[in-house]
Amino acid sequence: MSNSNQLHENLVQIVDEAGLLPEDQLSRYAIDDINPQAVVLPRSTHEIQEVLSYAADSALSVIPAGGGTKLGVGNPPDKVDLVLSTSRLDQVLEYEPGDLTVTVEAGIRLAALQAKLAEHGQYLPLDPPYADRCTIGGITATNASGPSRFRYGSARDRVLGMRVVQSSGTVIKSGGKVVKNVAGYDLNKLYLGSFGTLGVITEVSLKLQPLPEIERTILLTFNDVSETVNVASEISGSQLLPTSLNLFVNGVPLTDSPEPCLLIGLDGPSETVEWQIDAVKTVAQQNGAIGVELYEGQRQQELQGAMCAFPQVGAGTPTVVCRANLRMTDVSGFINTALEANESAPWRMRATGLMGSGVVYLVFSEFSNGDVPVEHTAEAIANLREAATNVGGNLIVESAPTALKRQIDVWGSVGRSFELMKSIKTKLDPIGLLNIGRFVGGI
Amino acid sequence: MKENDPLISELANIVGSEHVITDPTSLSVYECDGATVFKALPDVVVFPTTPQEISAIVKLANKHNVPFVARGAGTGLSGGMLTVNGGIIIALNRMNRILEIDIANQQAVVEPGVVNLWLTQAVQDDGYYYAPDPSSQQACSIGGNIAENSGGPHTLKYGVTSNHVLGLEVVLTDGEIVEFGGAVEETPGYDIRGVMIGSEGTFGIVTKAVVRLLRKPEGYQTLLGVFETIDDASNVVSSIIAQGIIPAALEMMDHFVIKAVEEAFHWGFPLDAGAVLIVELDGIKAGMQGQAEQITEIFNENNCRETRYAKDEEDRQQIWKSRKSAFGSFGRLAPNYITQDGVVPRTQLPKVLRRIAEISEKYDIPIANVFHAGDGNIHPIVLFDERDEDQCERVEAVNMEILRACAEAGGTITGEHGIGVEKMDYMPLIFSPEDLAVMATVKDIFNPSGLCNPGKIFPTAESYAKLGL
Repeated sequence: MSNSNQLHENLVQIVDEAGLLPEDQLSRYAIDDINPQAVVLPRSTHEIQEVLSYAADSALSVIPAGGGTKLGVGNPPDKVDLVLSTSRLDQVLEYEPGDLTVTVEAGIRLAALQAKLAEHGQYLPLDPPYADRCTIGGITATNASGPSRFRYGSARDRVLGMRVVQSSGTVIKSGGKVVKNVAGYDLNKLYLGSFGTLGVITEVSLKLQPLPEIERTILLTFNDVSETVNVASEISGSQLLPTSLNLFVNGVPLTDSPEPCLLIGLDGPSETVEWQIDAVKTVAQQNGAIGVELYEGQRQQELQGAMCAFPQVGAGTPTVVCRANLRMTDVSGFINTALEANESAPWRMRATGLMGSGVVYLVFSEFSNGDVPVEHTAEAIANLREAATNVGGNLIVESAPTALKRQIDVWGSVGRSFELMKSIKTKLDPIGLLNIGRFVGGI
Repeated sequence: MKENDPLISELANIVGSEHVITDPTSLSVYECDGATVFKALPDVVVFPTTPQEISAIVKLANKHNVPFVARGAGTGLSGGMLTVNGGIIIALNRMNRILEIDIANQQAVVEPGVVNLWLTQAVQDDGYYYAPDPSSQQACSIGGNIAENSGGPHTLKYGVTSNHVLGLEVVLTDGEIVEFGGAVEETPGYDIRGVMIGSEGTFGIVTKAVVRLLRKPEGYQTLLGVFETIDDASNVVSSIIAQGIIPAALEMMDHFVIKAVEEAFHWGFPLDAGAVLIVELDGIKAGMQGQAEQITEIFNENNCRETRYAKDEEDRQQIWKSRKSAFGSFGRLAPNYITQDGVVPRTQLPKVLRRIAEISEKYDIPIANVFHAGDGNIHPIVLFDERDEDQCERVEAVNMEILRACAEAGGTITGEHGIGVEKMDYMPLIFSPEDLAVMATVKDIFNPSGLCNPGKIFPTAESYAKLGL
């Protein structure tokens, strides 16, 4: 019997045939062009424990996953043994609308959860890309967020507690189910954004929000980036309370207009929203906006969706996606630097800035010879990273072809805190089982 | 430790002898925090002014194998700063500068000893404020807030300290000075800043923090409702949330507290009322009146006896003063009190409050309630006389039963005060030995010698016995 058959057989004993992805579909979970030896989809915490224990005994590594939308984030792995997806643990475990909290299994899709919550006039105000595919566990493990983080924060601000299976198989709880809790250490923060390197998240408790009465999006178009940024700063420094405040350069979602523009999301009671629409229009007209469009209903939903999906704008074709974290006042300078540097480059660079949060996404696509020129893009990224770090920020390469990833460190340096991070990994995953070598500094 | 102990002179070399306290009378000021029933005398208190001085002190403590504990303003409510095995208190009161105010980026850089309210005062003319607002905000320090992950009335809408801290500079337990996070919202790698916040001073000493500033809301609407019973007021809380309104704050006081506050401050509260609710809306003025009317309607549906509206900012401040000064009035009720800090799911509030009333009756120990109703964060004030041994024993039973009730309702044993020494014994009510083992592992990473603030947070074998586990 070949090794792969043996592996298949052993795993089937734990998760059944239904819990094992058919071999011809393994490439869906390929990481940096390496197909996993197997993709397991356990249905229970017990099965997860069994898989981890089997993997540990067989010296196989395990990459925890949810819907797989961010599985590619990280440095290229040396090998991909097992991908363990929690997507079949998809139940709502506890939901009392009056508490404005919910506890779910990690594999529930964001869109499926939102549908359940909407029945009670509530929602989880997180809007990362691919709501119909991404899971709550994945959102938590990657601390994902979207445009509305300006008003509602990221997963870090929403997660109240979780259950985690450690690489030893022990199930532990961090945090709790209530909205305030300082009992013991806040280990939620350790697992949030740890990209599956410390444990397999099986259960998450979250803080919800009532659905707003109405939602609107205003699209302002400008002649240049600096005018756009001025209006954004004026709004973020005002008493208006937009949900999102996104600058787009070289390609606006949906309209694909070439001029820089600002998308402003508003929600709340209609009277409040209407007042804000007027206020935004006034600011826009006083500051040289050449276009002011108000979106509502279906079109608003589509525009909002396109805005959330922006980092995936070139998916399916060769793309490079970088994400910079900056102070708000450094966003325009950084985008201008990026625009200048890439003006005559053999690719198209689109940019979006989450103006209230200082997050900038740069998406490189439409490479002139069809493929990503590794040396050239590596150099461009190094320059951009330097521009970000020079102003106290950082730059992460969220998506890139494997050959390019091998030329760069997708995370960048984490400085002197690295020693502690390494100890955390060594102590919490002492057998080195989980998502090895792909996180910061090769953790 | 003697005054001629070499450690003392070495400490004096670092901070100057005028910034070292060793005489017993002066030391006694540092024997407790706001939870005054817990006391332990430090051997020495030092007042450094720089991270480098703190680093040197920490290295010295390590060399001499002496415990060290950071202390802010001493307003904590769980004995988190107690030197339970003696040792050095590193008092951060002299590190009280606001180092930078960056309005354009809506953030500030502060030293740990900066008093919470100072920061808001420093930025209010620019139209900004610092959101976490513990009731002790006139005295408590931001460093202490970070250690405890403090909350306050307005956390219902704005979250706790952890949601407002971007970066930290920390002297680690070996004396190394390291920064975590920074002036930007996210940095790659594990969120060590996040784990550090709320670690109750056991992972190191924060020497600098980058915190968020929020734009002051355009308007406020503050309503005060007087109710016949706690149940009525609790129903109001659930109804407001159920109607999709998230107020900035939603606070409750029971008849005990109303009486104490009234006698101390003469706000004009009816002495026979069962409960008072304070509801504050903030944000954009347009549409706010509509929400205030909705809330008034909910009040009326729940037998509200009287509704008051803050007519101006002064009025609003008066209402908040009555709430935040409640703690100052408990001295009139009993010689001693312990403030509990459990949290329960909002919908469980009426049930848990009834349970607390039963516990009070069962042990014949008066319990007053003033709390963050919107968060389900209750503050039962257990009133007693520490000179009465029998009472003290009953108080211990009362504490345990209250926290057990919170845990059983699906809640937790502390929402903003921390575990400290006060609630160590009750940790097994909400955490399994496995959960606690992970915490111990993490503690071991940050504090391998155990010299940094020992004797806190973790339950002992005795704790399990006490709980019958």
